[in-house]
Amino acid sequence: MIVAGGVVVLDHANIDTDQMFPGKYLTLISRQGFGKYLFEGAPQFLKQLEAHRDAKILVAGENIGCGSSREHAVWALADWGFRAVIAPSFARIFHENCYTNGVVPVLIEDRAAFEQCRSAKQLEIDVDEQVVRKDGTDIARFDLDPLRKEFILHGGFYDYLATKIDAVKEWAAKRTSTVG
Amino acid sequence: MGTPRVSVGGAEPGAERLLNKTLFDKVWESHVVEELPGGNALLYIDRIIAIEITTPQPAAEIAERFGDRLFDPAAIVAINDHVSPAKDTETAVQANALRQWAKRHGVAFYDVGNNGICHVVTPERGYVEPGITLICGDSHTCTHGAFGAFAQGVGSSVQGGAMLAGCIIQQKPKVIRINVSGYLQKGATAKDLALTVIATLGFKGGTGCVLEYHGEAIRALSMEERMTLCNMAIEAGASTGMIEPDETTIEYLRGREAQPKGDAFEKKAAYWRTLRADLDARYERTVEIDASAIRTVVSWGTNPGESVPIDGRVPLDADPDSLAYMGLQAGTPMREIAVDQAFIGSCTNARISDLRAAAAIFKGRKVAVPTIVTPGSQAVKRQAEREGLHDVFQDAGALWTHSSCGPCLGMSMGIVAPGMRVISSTNRNFRNRMGQGGRVHLATPVVVAASAILGRIATPDELPPLQTREAAVRGAA
Repeated sequence: MIVAGGVVVLDHANIDTDQMFPGKYLTLISRQGFGKYLFEGAPQFLKQLEAHRDAKILVAGENIGCGSSREHAVWALADWGFRAVIAPSFARIFHENCYTNGVVPVLIEDRAAFEQCRSAKQLEIDVDEQVVRKDGTDIARFDLDPLRKEFILHGGFYDYLATKIDAVKEWAAKRTSTVG
Repeated sequence: MGTPRVSVGGAEPGAERLLNKTLFDKVWESHVVEELPGGNALLYIDRIIAIEITTPQPAAEIAERFGDRLFDPAAIVAINDHVSPAKDTETAVQANALRQWAKRHGVAFYDVGNNGICHVVTPERGYVEPGITLICGDSHTCTHGAFGAFAQGVGSSVQGGAMLAGCIIQQKPKVIRINVSGYLQKGATAKDLALTVIATLGFKGGTGCVLEYHGEAIRALSMEERMTLCNMAIEAGASTGMIEPDETTIEYLRGREAQPKGDAFEKKAAYWRTLRADLDARYERTVEIDASAIRTVVSWGTNPGESVPIDGRVPLDADPDSLAYMGLQAGTPMREIAVDQAFIGSCTNARISDLRAAAAIFKGRKVAVPTIVTPGSQAVKRQAEREGLHDVFQDAGALWTHSSCGPCLGMSMGIVAPGMRVISSTNRNFRNRMGQGGRVHLATPVVVAASAILGRIATPDELPPLQTREAAVRGAA
């Protein structure tokens, strides 16, 4: 799988999920059409997104997605059209939410490599090879959890867990329960 | 010879264990169903808290694609908590979605009149206990680590996976030991300790880790204080906080609604007493904190790591973006910052002990700015009213509401206007969190109360002494 496209750089650390998806819209029970709420309360970010409306890759600073566990933030990113997020560090829950929704979390700790991504207008992310390319040249390698990588490539997060139901039941039946 | 081995009771009676486990290791290992590729484990989940804002989506997924079958409805507790009662059609639809789902599956359910914030309700009803794994689609689920549970916030899909299959996929987190020696001094609270830990580790310093709290200061905390401390572990990026269960934990749980009685309870308590970190447990690293040196803390910026002692000033090296958003100048003494609103509430600081502490400050005084007091649960509300605290708050001119998450995350009951500055007993001072353009200063309930009275950030010792009736009579004569 290749994610190729325009890049938007939000040059800030600690962009929290409250900013990505304001709390007032947590009242919605669907998962559809959330792109229109993305960064609604953060005009400085929204302006950049709108200036690169066809971008597929979001580049952000340290600790992207910190704070609230709301998966709505990733649903909004995906609905807007983002297929990958590149950052030097990810908050844990947001990181997991990216994987389960097929948004590629590209963690690049190497400063020089991150800088190359940050200065790019267009990038190509080869998910199978775990490489970021600029103008056909490899500029950064990144790690992906091998199990969750499958969820990005083929979806099926729920389906995978469904295959485990019998094993979990068997395990639970043998266990001396500690829960009342 | 080598490492000593002993038999430890619990999930696998008689199992031989090495003597170098952390508390977290013990809980983790007793829940691993199988090892998965990439260093992942399939981790069994004992308890799922299902709330109205993050449950309808995974519930719909399971209904549509997996025949509406849940792994174990008895493992789930459902609560309408974020906006309850509903404020409009959307929130009514959302609350009803959870209500109908819980009813259909026979899931334990707490609704209008009998609910509150899920992280307050579930412990007070006894659904949280030592040694269990617990998840919820809310980041402040780390609160429950106070009981020695492995409790973490997750996205809706991960919650849905556990609803479907009773487990989650997780790489084992590292464990940071936080040793808190000495004792908190007068005026310093569990919230101040929590903010000090975040400032020490940094706002993302706990990412990928569990914070295991140890030390005499922790042992001395009540369960409510332990919950306040663990509640803010996520604000250092940590998966959760954890505290070894002890007699304080056991006595808190004894007699709670979801706990068994008599021998069945004692049998569980005996297991809980074994859930201790081994003396030579191995940690990723250890952080030492001297509780006796902790002073009252208040935030100045736009994340909880941007906090200072209340006697201090806005830092000279403060992030310019944070300063601009907060409308502050570097170097300004914290106590000179005027506030427009005060809020006491949230899963961090709205339990009965928090309300008692705030009421002691409000008693006989008047607020200078609009002030809202929102109890953490309806049970807390009723207890507060039995003690007359609602009269104290209302005599002071504050609004006393029903329980809800309310304005903490900008959903209802006290959202602030752009530019308004609110002193708040909540957990997040993020931009726009309590309302578009709103400015939030995190503080303890007593600091919120004192600030509400003086109209600026303040501690109770700044308040003029109350005149006793006798002194007032003498003065008039």
